[in-house]
Amino acid sequence: MTSATDTPRLAAATSGFALAAAITVLFNTALAWAKDAYAPLNDFMKSIAGHHWTTHGLADLFLFAALGLFFTKSKSVETISASRLTGILIAAVVTASLGLVLWFAFV
Amino acid sequence: MNISTSDVVLLAHAGFGVMGCLAALWVLVEALNARPGNAARIRTAALATAVCMAGAWICGGYWYVHFYPPEKALILKGPWPFAHNVFMETKEHLFFVTGILALLLPIAAREKLDSNAAARKLVLSVAALIVITGLAVEGAGAVINHGAKIALAAQDAKGAR
Repeated sequence: MTSATDTPRLAAATSGFALAAAITVLFNTALAWAKDAYAPLNDFMKSIAGHHWTTHGLADLFLFAALGLFFTKSKSVETISASRLTGILIAAVVTASLGLVLWFAFV
Repeated sequence: MNISTSDVVLLAHAGFGVMGCLAALWVLVEALNARPGNAARIRTAALATAVCMAGAWICGGYWYVHFYPPEKALILKGPWPFAHNVFMETKEHLFFVTGILALLLPIAAREKLDSNAAARKLVLSVAALIVITGLAVEGAGAVINHGAKIALAAQDAKGAR
């Protein structure tokens, strides 16, 4: 008989891309703050893909894919427990989301 | 009847977003009752979430870049400039969070959720976050739409005087 705790570990790809997602959503908010506060960065991003939003999205996708593949191959995330990784992801998403809302509402 | 490309792209964006949220909710419900028999359904729903959110990303991005600028100018001159300054600015960046989580979901759903409690917890968390952020983005879209609507009404009222 198997129980829910028999295999508590996550596959390398799951762990790697979960941590990549946590980092990417925080990067996304930091980049949104930076380009809103510093117009030359916004202009530079516009010059890359024609619109700052397009470049922003491509940067997020690239970072998510690159970090996810790196963490999966290096297996460096395996030292982080699965429940801790889930906690990190939830905290990152809540922080990133509130960071966006508060920035655009009050800054 | 006059349906423009802008209308089609905008409604496709919102439609894909709603379907993505529903697919994530489907993953959530199935994962709460994870067993070997519904593993394939969970993976299908997770993939549907990613595909729908990718559709919402592409359609929303195309509309935002090509059709939003005149609407933005209208909103900023209207009674609800915060519909752009707060809601659109937040929405256009919060959507990336939903999109990244939607891409993560099919990867996490490949785990054996019926026997791996940690993986199930991760999938449940990711699916719930997609639903919450996705609905927030949908709600922001409604506020932006209303901001444009009342700006047009104010413009019409001014023209009638």
